[in-house]
Amino acid sequence: MSDQLLTISGLSAGTEDTPILHDINLSIGAGETHVLMGPNGAGKSTLGHVIMGDPVFQVTGGSIMFDGQDVTDKGADKRSLAGIFLSYQAPVEVPGVPLYSFLRTICQMRPELKTTARKFRARVGEIADQLDIDQSFLTRELNVGFSGGEKKKIEMLQLLLLRPKLAILDETDSGLDVDALSIVSKAIEAYRADCDGALLMITHNTRILERLSVDHTHVMVRGNLVADGPASLIDDIDSNGFARFENELAQKGVE
Amino acid sequence: MAEATETTRKRSQVADVDRSLYDFKYSEEGFERYADGLSTDIVRAISEKKDEPQWMLDMRLKALAIYEEMEMPANWGPSIEMLDLNHISAYVSPKTKQASSWDEVPEDIKNTFERLGIPEAERESLAGVGAQYDSEIVYHNMRAEVADQGVIYTTIEDALHDPELEPIVHEYFGKLIPMRDHKFAALHYAVWSGGSFVYVPEGVTLPYPLQSYFRLNAQGAGQFEHTLIIVEPGADLHFIEGCSAPKYYEANLHAGAVELFVKDNARLRYSTIENWSKNMFNLNTKRATVGADAKMEWVSGSFGSHVSYLYPTTIMQGARSTCEFTGITFAGATQDLDTGCKVILNGPDTTASVDTKSISKDGGINTFRSSIVVGRKADRARATVSCASLMLDDFSRSDTIPAMDVRNGSASVGHEATIGRISDDTILYLMSRGCSEAEARTMVVNGFADPVSKELPMEYAIEMNNLIKLEMEGAIG
Amino acid sequence: MTQHMDAAAEVATTTLSHINVPPAQTWNYLRINDIKMELPTPKVAGDVYAGLPQLFGKVEVGLGDEAVRWIVSSAGDSNFYEVKASEARTVVVDIDAATGDACDTGVLVRTGAKATIVTFAHGGAEGSSSASLLRVVAEADAEVSIVEIVAHDGGQHLDGVGIDAGERAQIEMRQYALGGSRVAVGLACNLAGNKSRFTLDSRYLAQGSEILDVNHVVRQRGRNTRADIVTTGILADSARKTMRETIDLIHGAKFAEGSEIETVLVTGDDVVNKTLPVILCDEEDVAGNHGASIGAISPEQLSFLGARGLSEEAAEQLFARALFDDAVIHAGNDDACSAVLARAATVLGAEVARDIAEVLGVEPKEA
Repeated sequence: MSDQLLTISGLSAGTEDTPILHDINLSIGAGETHVLMGPNGAGKSTLGHVIMGDPVFQVTGGSIMFDGQDVTDKGADKRSLAGIFLSYQAPVEVPGVPLYSFLRTICQMRPELKTTARKFRARVGEIADQLDIDQSFLTRELNVGFSGGEKKKIEMLQLLLLRPKLAILDETDSGLDVDALSIVSKAIEAYRADCDGALLMITHNTRILERLSVDHTHVMVRGNLVADGPASLIDDIDSNGFARFENELAQKGVE
Repeated sequence: MAEATETTRKRSQVADVDRSLYDFKYSEEGFERYADGLSTDIVRAISEKKDEPQWMLDMRLKALAIYEEMEMPANWGPSIEMLDLNHISAYVSPKTKQASSWDEVPEDIKNTFERLGIPEAERESLAGVGAQYDSEIVYHNMRAEVADQGVIYTTIEDALHDPELEPIVHEYFGKLIPMRDHKFAALHYAVWSGGSFVYVPEGVTLPYPLQSYFRLNAQGAGQFEHTLIIVEPGADLHFIEGCSAPKYYEANLHAGAVELFVKDNARLRYSTIENWSKNMFNLNTKRATVGADAKMEWVSGSFGSHVSYLYPTTIMQGARSTCEFTGITFAGATQDLDTGCKVILNGPDTTASVDTKSISKDGGINTFRSSIVVGRKADRARATVSCASLMLDDFSRSDTIPAMDVRNGSASVGHEATIGRISDDTILYLMSRGCSEAEARTMVVNGFADPVSKELPMEYAIEMNNLIKLEMEGAIG
Repeated sequence: MTQHMDAAAEVATTTLSHINVPPAQTWNYLRINDIKMELPTPKVAGDVYAGLPQLFGKVEVGLGDEAVRWIVSSAGDSNFYEVKASEARTVVVDIDAATGDACDTGVLVRTGAKATIVTFAHGGAEGSSSASLLRVVAEADAEVSIVEIVAHDGGQHLDGVGIDAGERAQIEMRQYALGGSRVAVGLACNLAGNKSRFTLDSRYLAQGSEILDVNHVVRQRGRNTRADIVTTGILADSARKTMRETIDLIHGAKFAEGSEIETVLVTGDDVVNKTLPVILCDEEDVAGNHGASIGAISPEQLSFLGARGLSEEAAEQLFARALFDDAVIHAGNDDACSAVLARAATVLGAEVARDIAEVLGVEPKEA
């Protein structure tokens, strides 16, 4: 297992009063692309946030190993510095903080990315062009008044700037128009090509997966991982939905 | 003064309510009425009549001196220029003894309270009732099973004559509201009369609320009742206060004081429906101190008076104590109501939430005024203030003046305020479903007031809805 | 004004007791209704200075009349600018505390003209005092952009702004209160013309034992007027701040909308943070809103910033840096940028200040 980048073993987690995830086991190797699918409310996003270390959720059992270290009890900031990236479904607005200040600060935190202001500007400009982001966004307040598509593009900008070892993209494709979707797809491809990072795609829309070579597919139903399979599982779900998995789970007596 | 001639109506008869509900008056012939204005003689006479201990007389005289020395509040909210204290009688008393049975209460006075629905409510949903008519309590009674638990509900006057209670009154009376607080606090201490003394022993929970009702029948008079409530550790009390008066042209003054001591782990809910007549200057002072893990809940409906200065204050000294303030103020024609609250968070992990509504119409003026002070030691204290104001026409007024003073880095304080009108879309929607415009508007205003009315005891919630309905009918008529 | 002589220093001083009085006041014991300042007594001996045209005398300034009189008498000659109809012009006011500057500026922006006004106060140190008074009359369809910067390292400062907006005039303003031992900033905007609009983005930082006192007053008189005020600030150490915000929806201002939002980030344990957000309303067809949140960074923001590698402490530092970044981005004038960067060097350190300049591509002048 030593070649695994992320190893989740027997993980259970939830909010203070509601258990959400039950005994999750999942491994992702360096550079692999995984897809996590499941019906609405299955707990997919929760898993993404728990891997990131979102304090809203509490881990009640099991462990999360990342890049050789146990991060189960580590804060989100430590996990981020270790190389985990989570793109938010709804990126949070941060009034008073220009995008530039934010990007500069999160880069300078990381020894591997620390660079001169000139090189930083050049790099940000390059990625912004690549993602068709107008330079004027850089002086606007982070996510404030951005449209859904703009917010997602800014998330992708951060992904390419931070070059994480593992990127968890939480419904990055939802609610985007065709143009924005193609830019986000481009960003994901660029991440795969330039950073050789691993990818965990959380989605219930299979279209964005068409241009990706998927190594593993996982299916989550009611907080349980109920199936693992190859990329072909996606096509199966596309045609047959999740009913089969829900029934199986019900037969096992899991409510 | 003519006797009221309308047929008797009871508050609980919803369909039938009309303006005469509160606006009836009886003769004060044969009453004991002191000369207008204030003097040492008047203060001594009140004290002598009540046969008070020396310390109380001393306190009254000291308060009088302070009153004379203090200035009228300058440049404060609504004008009280028309209030001439030289034309207010500080003490008017019916010639009757305090009764514990309604049968012993004189006919006029009994009728008054019957019409206000008090004896009926007492039978149905209260643990005890006190009824004040002008300056004196005329009726006081509490259910035996509550008395058996050691709960005391009496007048301060009676408590002062009880050797066991007198030291308690002495210990607490005037400790929360200092007489120098403002000029009308000093006035209050000089001439206070009537009110209630409540003592709930440790761990006792009252099954039903206690209710005191204050009726000011006399013209050109002041009512200065003092309410002192002590809720011992772990005890639980709901206290209801109602007030009303008939309409006169001459100014009336209400300058009561309410002092509430809520000990550790205790809970006190203090509900008020104030419906003074529109010649009343309601300059009332209420204050609570709250111990650790204790809970203070204020529910306040202000509908009456010409001018109000009313800002119940909660001092949250104990750790983890909570305060909830829910209030509504309705200012109609000729009313200038300056209401709100003050919360001082001193203990760590204290929480306060303030939720108020105001409605202004027919030229009425509403001012919501509050202060939230978070002290240096109030680690992790949390306070939220939310106030919504509804303007029903373009010649009324609604001002929102909330102040916050935060001195702890780990505290969090949030505030939101909105002022607006009933949206045309809402009215149109309701009318498209068959409501008349008047019904639609009343419905919206009632919905706006709903968060407050649902906190009130049923009797009062109905009363409040009726008051709103009355005011709204007047608007469209 | 009361005047007295400081015997030791032989400097006559004047006490202004009612600076920044808001239109509606509250309990005096809260000490939120005004601020006092003791300032050098203006020279009065017989000199005649060039004052502004009298129409500026009618413009309400948030600091209040007492402070306005003091600034006018301290300023000497005033500076009057007229931006002619349909022209565009930039006015820069440099207030240097090192020379005790008090500036009295009036800008008349004619119909359809565009004006950009930058005022920046800098160079303040222990014992210094400086002041700026800016009055703007914007005629119909004028577009006015104002950047007001106070970037002292110490000393006292008064910064007053008064704006009258005609029909459809658009006033966009950014206000940065970045430092000074005792600073009073008082702004009033009179939206007199129908459809006139005022947006204010006000940002501040107070640290150490600094005292910052702010008064924002917007009078909405015209129909369909809009006022949007967003205030964000950081309070560190034992700084004291008072923020008064008043939206006055005056009878006749049908369909007017006013909103004010304040977010305060408190990072110090001994701060005193006072806020008085007032909405006055005597009109029916209007909407007034206010929101305030005072305390630490919100849990949602903290979680998001954490996911990008920032601890709570790092997030607080980001907010401080962002304030200076934002001031540099919008200063629109090299000298004003230099003033901001000089203050950034004091607050954030020389290295971060240099980084801000380099990332944003500005060349600070050597102080």
